[in-house]
Amino acid sequence: MTTVLVVAAFVGAYVLIATERIHRVAAALSGAAAMVLLGVVDAEVAFFSEETGVDWNVIFLLLGMMVIVSVLKQTGVFDYLAIWAAKRTKGRPFPTMVLLVCITAVASALLDNVTTVLLIAPVTLLVCHRLGLPPVPFLIAEALASNIGGTATLIGDPPNIIIASRAGLSFNDFLLNLGPIVVVLMVVFIGLCRVLFRSAFHYDPDRVSALMALDEREVIRDRGLLVRSGIVLVLVMVGFVAHSALHIEPSMVALLGAGALVALSKLDPPEFLEEVEWMTLVFFMGLFVMVGALVEVGVIERLGQAVTEAVGDQYLLAGSVLIWGSALLSGIVDNIPYVATVTPLVQNLVDAGQGAPEAQALWWALALGADLGGNATAVGASANVVVIGIAARNGHPISFWRFTRYGAVVALVTIAIAWLYLWLRYYAF
Amino acid sequence: MRAGELAQPFPMVTPDTEAIVAAQAMAGARLPGLIICDENGRPYTVLPGSQVLRFLVPDYLQKTPGLARALDERASDELFRKLEHTTVRTLLPAPQDIDELPVVDVDATAVEVAAVMARMHSPLVAVVDEHGTGRIIGAITASRLLDHLLPTSSGP
Repeated sequence: MTTVLVVAAFVGAYVLIATERIHRVAAALSGAAAMVLLGVVDAEVAFFSEETGVDWNVIFLLLGMMVIVSVLKQTGVFDYLAIWAAKRTKGRPFPTMVLLVCITAVASALLDNVTTVLLIAPVTLLVCHRLGLPPVPFLIAEALASNIGGTATLIGDPPNIIIASRAGLSFNDFLLNLGPIVVVLMVVFIGLCRVLFRSAFHYDPDRVSALMALDEREVIRDRGLLVRSGIVLVLVMVGFVAHSALHIEPSMVALLGAGALVALSKLDPPEFLEEVEWMTLVFFMGLFVMVGALVEVGVIERLGQAVTEAVGDQYLLAGSVLIWGSALLSGIVDNIPYVATVTPLVQNLVDAGQGAPEAQALWWALALGADLGGNATAVGASANVVVIGIAARNGHPISFWRFTRYGAVVALVTIAIAWLYLWLRYYAF
Repeated sequence: MRAGELAQPFPMVTPDTEAIVAAQAMAGARLPGLIICDENGRPYTVLPGSQVLRFLVPDYLQKTPGLARALDERASDELFRKLEHTTVRTLLPAPQDIDELPVVDVDATAVEVAAVMARMHSPLVAVVDEHGTGRIIGAITASRLLDHLLPTSSGP
């Protein structure tokens, strides 16, 4: 009976999250509270169980990176890079878009997607206004690029952080398995931009002088802070990459980096905590408790056994279903709760494969599907929602369907290529 | 002293007044805002100077003030040209966002006026002859009120 009630509470909370009838944080906390009231979760399980409790590695990795971003934001480095890039292209629209989406993709791989678009969108609006270009295609392209670029690394997209922590995958695992395909996808994406947004590329030589008059050096507010932040960010990346040698968890690396930046920047708490999304962190905690309860009552184990028996050794089929299914669901609902729920099931499948590369590749199928699927609709990823909000506040409303008709094409093409990559790399030979 | 005595003549501006004319009136008289009246001369809302700036400066520059440092004089001229060919109506907040109007009667005491300003965070109040025509007879700015209320200083 308890199991039925736990499943009902989980499904109820999930429906509330997906339909946004109440705020997703309230829904996740209500779900977690229901698990406590049903007697499945107690403080020991919620706070100290590595299997079924809150995954503090995920929470503190996110917190550390958010603090790092808060400090980086104060430097004005993104504004500098974007203006510098636009000036290098002499204001030609398509090359400007290419450089802006490349900056967005790289930044999204190193930071989180939402922060990246929050930092790059304002300067994009400025560049477009100076050049007399419609900003909407540029903003949509950046949202899509952030979701593609974020796929490349462990820290690039929240689903990757969850997968890495639950599967015990390292920063390098992500970089080596997803990095190459993301580079290919970015090249294809740039080609798609040329076609999809062709009507936006009107070159007006008279407006170029307005762009060239922008002084990018002026936006660097504190050169010393910029240098110190750059050094710490490089060291954090080195810490992630050298995980196997240093044996320091990514969450610890991020917290050490955040602590170093706080000490070096001498910023006040409101400044270095500015980009910390407390609601997101609490949302994650609620989700972990909800999913942990499913594990506690044995639902995940039984589902995992059923899926493992159904899959057998047909890992290509499982990977295909996982990448396409994840993409479809991530386009419709938030990919964070989806990945948090599916991860234990994939773990069962991978364990059953006893370390076979074909089974291990299921993690990459899940990451690629969940991350790239977010591009499919206007609400598929947080970055999309943020960009649409910024555009609306600046007098450039983007309707759901306008975003989706570009996003769906990009999602379809990139997932098809990602599926081909999975097949060629892990199953074909 | 009563509100009627503290009130000063104020430029009459309606939602259909040209925005540039209204802004120039505000700047020329160094006013913190303007009282917008309807066609019958009754006060309708207050247009604070900050609302005019909010209209002129794009949201992305308001949220990222550091970015504004990259703009040259020509760019700022272009921003401020937005007031041309538009009316006060476009500067006003959406109807549902318009706050309660800071209005006092001609008989209101100075402290009463101060209380209205403080409660509504308004830099000025409209003074209306509520028992007569109901029309605005002038306005009181925060600086005018403070000048009256503060004790005369005997020096630093």
